[in-house]
Amino acid sequence: MTELVTKIQEVLNEADVVLGWVHSAAAGAAVPAWFHNAVEAEAAVFDSTCVHNLAVHLPRLQDRTAGIVAKGCDIRSVVQLISEGQVRRDRVRIISVPCPGVVDVKKVWRCFGYGKKLIDAGGQVEMEGKTAPREEILLWKCRGCRDTAPLISDVVVGDPAGVAPPSPAERTGLRERFDAMTPAERRRFWQEQFSRCIRCNACREACPLCFCRDVCTMQTREPHWTGGQINAREAEMAQHIRINHLAGRCTGCEECERACPVGIPLMLLLEEQNRAVEKLFGYRAGTDPEAKPPLLVFDIDNDTWDSER
Amino acid sequence: MRIGVFVCQCGTNIAATVATRRVVEAALSMRDVFHGESIQYTCSDPGQRAIIDAIQQKNLTRVVLAACSPRMHETTFRRAIAQAGMNPFMLEMVNIREQCSWIHSDIDTATEKAIDLVRKGVARVRRQTPLHAGSVPVTRRALVIGGGVAGIQAALDIADAGVPVTLVEKSPTLGGNMARLDKTFPTLDCSSCILTPRMVEVKQHENIDLMVSSEIENVRGYIGNFEVDIRRKATCVIEEKCTGCMICEQKCPSRAPDDFNAGVGESKAISVAFPQAVPLVAALRKEYCRLFLKGRCSVCKKVCPAGAIDYEQEDRFVTERFGAIVAATGFEQFDWKKAYPSFGGGLYPDVITSLEYERMLSASGPTGGHIRRPSDGAEPKHIVFISCVGSRDESVGRPACCGVGCMYQAKQAILTKEHIPDSQSYVFYLDVRAGGKGYEEFVRRATREFGTIYVRGRVGKVYPRNGKLICMGTDTLAGHQVEVEADLVVLAAGLNAAGAAAGLARKLNISYDMYGFFSEGHPKLKPVETNTGGVFLAGACQGPKDIPASVAQAGAAAAKVVSLLSRAELETSPMVAEVNQMKCTGCFKCREVCPYGAIEEQELRGGRRVAHVIGSLCQGCGLCNVACPPAVIPLKGYTDNQLIAEVVEVLREPEPASSAGASAKAVEVAE
Repeated sequence: MTELVTKIQEVLNEADVVLGWVHSAAAGAAVPAWFHNAVEAEAAVFDSTCVHNLAVHLPRLQDRTAGIVAKGCDIRSVVQLISEGQVRRDRVRIISVPCPGVVDVKKVWRCFGYGKKLIDAGGQVEMEGKTAPREEILLWKCRGCRDTAPLISDVVVGDPAGVAPPSPAERTGLRERFDAMTPAERRRFWQEQFSRCIRCNACREACPLCFCRDVCTMQTREPHWTGGQINAREAEMAQHIRINHLAGRCTGCEECERACPVGIPLMLLLEEQNRAVEKLFGYRAGTDPEAKPPLLVFDIDNDTWDSER
Repeated sequence: MRIGVFVCQCGTNIAATVATRRVVEAALSMRDVFHGESIQYTCSDPGQRAIIDAIQQKNLTRVVLAACSPRMHETTFRRAIAQAGMNPFMLEMVNIREQCSWIHSDIDTATEKAIDLVRKGVARVRRQTPLHAGSVPVTRRALVIGGGVAGIQAALDIADAGVPVTLVEKSPTLGGNMARLDKTFPTLDCSSCILTPRMVEVKQHENIDLMVSSEIENVRGYIGNFEVDIRRKATCVIEEKCTGCMICEQKCPSRAPDDFNAGVGESKAISVAFPQAVPLVAALRKEYCRLFLKGRCSVCKKVCPAGAIDYEQEDRFVTERFGAIVAATGFEQFDWKKAYPSFGGGLYPDVITSLEYERMLSASGPTGGHIRRPSDGAEPKHIVFISCVGSRDESVGRPACCGVGCMYQAKQAILTKEHIPDSQSYVFYLDVRAGGKGYEEFVRRATREFGTIYVRGRVGKVYPRNGKLICMGTDTLAGHQVEVEADLVVLAAGLNAAGAAAGLARKLNISYDMYGFFSEGHPKLKPVETNTGGVFLAGACQGPKDIPASVAQAGAAAAKVVSLLSRAELETSPMVAEVNQMKCTGCFKCREVCPYGAIEEQELRGGRRVAHVIGSLCQGCGLCNVACPPAVIPLKGYTDNQLIAEVVEVLREPEPASSAGASAKAVEVAE
């Protein structure tokens, strides 16, 4: 019985459900699971394939007391949800796990192909005999992670100080190419990207802060901001609504990009916006449950925006 | 759905640039438009009659009016269509005058634009729903902010009409800037002689509650029902006990700058502003008081025969409700020192402002009415008045005219000659602006009877030489350089709104210009109103004004207040936000952004917490509408879909003109 399982079972004494992960042989990785009792909880695992941000489920569990196994970055989403009144602090039990970074499934596939279980051993990761340096297959957000220490938590598993955050990475590959693009090239780039969008709204469903769900303006008729047609123009409009609505709220969990079945690099837009918010207002979403998001505050004496121009 | 489109010619205001008949034809081809008509003057009686007839004969259910700005006539037409039996809000005004005919010259382009605008209006009105106005009770009490001549006049006029007034003044006495003046132009009557009786009247008026040493902390609410927090500043003097004997001031060992005397001379940490102050009470300024700075003194407490000193006093807050607010916060002189290094930038003690000079002229001033050079106390013989310092001067970024400088310079020149008969005054001026009644004659007197020398031109530099101040300037009429040796230089520094005006404007939710002056509702037709209902302006807080104009505006503001408060109830706009609670996610971003506190939390069955708009508090600003992520808090009459429909129509590529639609319906042109 691991420490994680014991802690989950303890939390289940007062919580109706605990959100966590189990290993799936079919997926060759961890998959989210809802534990309702001590027996179910015995299967709980935490490893570097626990990529999912389980905070996405919390807003719909408002009528229950819910526990959540959360990485440092997931806790930021919980904090943001608390500050937006979508999660009641007294109704959530946060089980913090020490996270040395989680893998990018697409990179795993590229390195190893679809496979069996991923074995994470120190600096190396191996699967079916093949190995790769660990940092190379991590999610982009994990590189230079600033959130390894849990911001708030009720139960701590392991030693959060015992994990070293992965080293920051240069902006290589797509990010490097994107940075070098002129505005006109970016325009063409996004038109091309959004021409692949099938309007499945997986980005929205995976996003812990898109809690409007079915009333989301990406699909409503009242108001009718975007049409339902599947074309680059409408798709881009819909996505820009979502991204604008995340200004000063996005915690950068990369779930939208991971969930996208056609691989649109949404994080390029969100990272840009998050950087702007941090630079202009000194604000990182989900780092202070008491803070007011900058775009909801009218501070006439704050001229950061003016000086920026 | 049956829409009628009426296109106003506005005489030639619109018809000269927009082919109204073509607009009507185009409108008739639009979806659901069953009637189109071009009318010479829609707002005229026959014009309104034509609208009513068309509504009744053709069973119209919605009306688009292409005419002037809705700010001009929306109410007129709402009333007209209500007369025809329609809901008054089923009307869309399309502005083809201010936003089309007046700003274009080419008929074809302007007509095309007018058609686009009408198409936009039709698209919008198609999505309009009937709205119904509510009503709120009115608090019959007025707040006047500022105790200068404008505030005094407004308070007295309102109180005389039987409406209770609270007059809030930030300094310890009424009087404002006018109390500082010696004589007033163009009659040279004594300023305080005409002002102090009014100050006393305020104090004694049964309907006026006077709060001096008080400031506005916070304003909530809306027209008819404001809730105002007032800070009663601690003066360490119990107002009810103080008799104004001034013994404390005589004995106080702590020197302090003399605010009332515009910094000329010195005062004490505890003082009475001036002998005729109303109320006649002392006030202590802690920042200069030895007791508060060094912890030892309390002389004033020992000597006060009335036992009125209370060092423990702290700021108190009172909250009161008002139906209307008059802002009368006045002006202050522009701080010229930074902008004019060429005049010494404050380095030469004998370069002073006109208000400082005014205190020197005043018999109750620090020099007892004797003109003395600040540097050595000598009587100046040559006095140079420089006009337009920080006004009409784009080189310092202040293009506006101060409005009173020319007149008070003439007055000060006359008074100077009366005080020192062997003196010579010079006035450097740009133009003499003496537009008021008896003003031009007054300036003539200054030159003819009192020998003031007027030199037309700016002074470029003032510098000291052998104990004199040399004013170098140009005489632009003679076309040569002039140098005047002056003993004293008096600057007519431009006017700004009082320092705290911008902060007050934010609390009152009214706008202000680059000088801090509050913006009136309309430069001609709403000169004392603001864009916030129930907030009115009086005096120089709205722009530079002399005393007669300030008093007149105060009277006008008072009339507006009295008329507003004579009603028991006010109709509220139905164009307010409303939450679709089925879809509300309960994130309360709307509550964060609402400037009126109009959004509250409601719990639905099942415990779901959602937002709710308190209709009587909502001002229809639309901020919540923008902040709501799923956009489920529409502003009635301005829903997202109405606005989207407008945008879509404007951006739509023009379709090839089809005459079929137009010919099927009759076009009526009343000419």
